[in-house]
Amino acid sequence: MSILEGPSLGERVTLVDLVDRVLNKGVVLTGDLTLAVADIDLVYVGLRVLLASAATLEQEPAEARG
Amino acid sequence: MIGAAIDTAWYAYAVVGPVDAEIRAALPAPLELVGSAELAVVAGEVPLAEFGEDVLRERLNDREWLEEKARAHDEVIRRLLPLTTVVPLRFGSIHRDRIAVEAFLETRHDALAAALERVRGRVEVGVKIWLDRDQRPARGRQEAAATGRAYLEQRKRERERAAMAATSLEEHLRDVHGRLLASAEDGVVNRPQSSELTGRDAEMVLNAAYLVPGDGGEFFAEVDRLRSERPELVFEATGPWAAYNFVDLGEGV
Repeated sequence: MSILEGPSLGERVTLVDLVDRVLNKGVVLTGDLTLAVADIDLVYVGLRVLLASAATLEQEPAEARG
Repeated sequence: MIGAAIDTAWYAYAVVGPVDAEIRAALPAPLELVGSAELAVVAGEVPLAEFGEDVLRERLNDREWLEEKARAHDEVIRRLLPLTTVVPLRFGSIHRDRIAVEAFLETRHDALAAALERVRGRVEVGVKIWLDRDQRPARGRQEAAATGRAYLEQRKRERERAAMAATSLEEHLRDVHGRLLASAEDGVVNRPQSSELTGRDAEMVLNAAYLVPGDGGEFFAEVDRLRSERPELVFEATGPWAAYNFVDLGEGV
């Protein structure tokens, strides 16, 4: 089957843009299995991964309180 | 612990409606519509080996895995966007089974229906504004100063120049945001992505998203107008996206 492409999204969306939306936004109503995951700051996780992979990681934000 | 026999869970991508045969056909193979013709959850079975509570925490730190799954999530939503109204759910909304997805829809029906109405007939467009490094207000030009006093005066002038430039940049950005808002139904300004994240030399000074009618065509035209009016700012428009930034139901779990 052919894959439908979004009309104006011809170019590849950057991962940081994806993280900005897919992990950070959207309805935050988790499923019954994600209750324990709900307290994970997904966008923080995503950004940390991006930073680490960019090899320019200067410091781990030591804000992991709780 | 979960029984050993159950090794899958249900991943919910989005709430959509109305749905018809065309939408059903557009769904990639393992995905299903759970719910009614007016309001349905797009969901599919995923292995607990990847999305189980314990593993998910670790998997999230794996860049390749995260990228693959985030793209897959967005791809599902992009496919549906031209066909129906889409309320995207946040990455990693996992349910025990199909019945749990049904229950989720039932208990949140009214809030989800309202979110669907809010974004119906609209899309999200992202607008970023970049400044070239040498245009950044904070960067004063360095000139050699002969004496200590001259140096101090020079620094003072630089600070004043930078402050003025920052003020005028802020005014420019507020102005641009106002213009864009006038062509949109709603807008949010998010934190700019840092250079470490974008990997670009230019600095992002605006990272905004707008909820716009139709397919966003008129809004893109407005961005183009602003682009030609303000050559000192580098505009980047992305989308149309599903309305990721405009589906906050105002309730956490």
